Amino acid sequence: MKSFITQEEVEKIARLSHISLSETEIITAMEHLDAVLQYAARVQEIAKDIDISLLKNKNVEREDIVIPNSCEAILAQAPEREGNFFVVPVIIENQQ
Amino acid sequence: MSMYPFITIQELEQKLANKEITREEILEFYLKRFEAFDGEVGSALEVFDKESILQNTNQEMGELYGIPGIIKDNICQKDRITSCASKMLENFVATYDATAIERLKHAGALLVGRANMDEFAMGSSTETSAFKKTHNPWDLSRVPGGSSGGSAAAVAAGLVPWALGSETGGSVNQPSALCGIVGLKPTYGLISRYGLVAYASSLDQIGIMAQTVYDNARVLSVIAGKDNKDASMQQIDKKDYTQKLDGTLPKNLRIGVVDNALHAHGIETEIVDAIKAALKVFEQGGASIKHIQLPTLDYAAATYFIISRAEAASNLARFDGVRYGLRDKSAKTLSQMYNNTRHNGFGQEVRSRILVGNYVLSAGHAGQFYNNAKKVQRLISYEFKQAFTDVDVLIMPVHPAPAFKFGAFAENKLQLDLQDYFTCAMNLAGIPSLSLPCGSSSNNLPIGFQIAGPHLSEELLYQVGHAFQQKTDWHRKKPSGY
Repeated sequence: MKSFITQEEVEKIARLSHISLSETEIITAMEHLDAVLQYAARVQEIAKDIDISLLKNKNVEREDIVIPNSCEAILAQAPEREGNFFVVPVIIENQQ
Repeated sequence: MSMYPFITIQELEQKLANKEITREEILEFYLKRFEAFDGEVGSALEVFDKESILQNTNQEMGELYGIPGIIKDNICQKDRITSCASKMLENFVATYDATAIERLKHAGALLVGRANMDEFAMGSSTETSAFKKTHNPWDLSRVPGGSSGGSAAAVAAGLVPWALGSETGGSVNQPSALCGIVGLKPTYGLISRYGLVAYASSLDQIGIMAQTVYDNARVLSVIAGKDNKDASMQQIDKKDYTQKLDGTLPKNLRIGVVDNALHAHGIETEIVDAIKAALKVFEQGGASIKHIQLPTLDYAAATYFIISRAEAASNLARFDGVRYGLRDKSAKTLSQMYNNTRHNGFGQEVRSRILVGNYVLSAGHAGQFYNNAKKVQRLISYEFKQAFTDVDVLIMPVHPAPAFKFGAFAENKLQLDLQDYFTCAMNLAGIPSLSLPCGSSSNNLPIGFQIAGPHLSEELLYQVGHAFQQKTDWHRKKPSGY
């Protein structure tokens, strides 16, 4: 059976997913993805004959009400903070 | 004190009402059981201390006053860790109670701990937990099922009389069946998902596990019903789901048996025989049995794989190491920090599902996979709807074979994913399903079946299941040694 996914595609998807993968992890992922996609592809067989209109879901709206809450409990979870800010590593890399 | 193992909620309530026992004595009894047995079962990621359990609930008489239960570790309990059995959230402390938890506490329930699970609820054996294995109390060399395997094993070993799990594709009903207990996957929108860590939001539901149908209904009565904090909720008022449980089947009940499910590839004869025997019980109780076909069942798992992975990829994008959870502190740049945090924080199964999800959503592949899956989902819902014009409830298997050994599918992950074959269709259609024990395999492992009904038919499902348990003893069979 032809493969659904190439190594380059796995690398691209991993990049888009913001997950760094080692060489061996890429191979394992490729095998697993291929098995799942091979199986999942069967939806195409019947999808082409389906003509059932989408049920219209009603959007649920509510007033945007501010509920006072201490931000301390949330900030306490921060991996790194400075006062009321979350600290992150350098965003714009230095062009050397 | 007149406590004994596997006492039901119904019996505990009686003892509390008669003042034969106090809630402190009940709690001590169960905490001792955790101490004695959870070393080998491994159902809990954490058992809380007695004082904090007693403090963290309503002190006054409520609907579940003094009744201990354990909570799957993807449901937020304020000031407790909610880890989702992932390194990503190993030290994450919930800053609020999930709506279900708030209601349980209001009812006076005793929340004794956090149950092990597959990481982020992704798996069918609880083997993807980053922290520990949970063993099936019926045979410790076997898995309890998953992803709510810790919850199921705790109830099955009599460590608690009830537990909360969550289901996206079969994560309540499959472990319930493999552990010989009663599981409910309710209608989508019946139990608030506020405070449940999201896996696939269009499918996720909190579910209930207990020893009997009656006990299961007691817990649903406390947590079900509308909640403004979850916009996907149905506007259903709170009600007592035990009210119609008089032990009889509804008059002129029409049961549909899903014939093609009984002939599904790989299903074991013992499972089919046990379900056929259950059908006889219903027939003797006056129900009419009709054999029906659900041809799209064979496409449900594929549809579920695509939709759930796509939603998982989006939902799990929030774990980036910035505001909470794990962070790779060695990273020099933001982008390195994202990539390393997500590599180190997520286990292999979770990473794989994210990759599949982003693949089926990506330009060039969404048409082939995601859009087609959404179409097939409509067909599955339509087929159920048609079936329910002819019959009141459907009966189907939950699992193709009894609980399997650890690592049984290590070489064939797809077969493990296909554990969802019989259960994910109900999730795709958003309909409720009740799983209960109906037999025992030749090696003494539980066999379950499920009763599914139209949207919001929980009361009917309980009535049918309770009537079954009044005529049979499968729910009284317990694993030995506990």
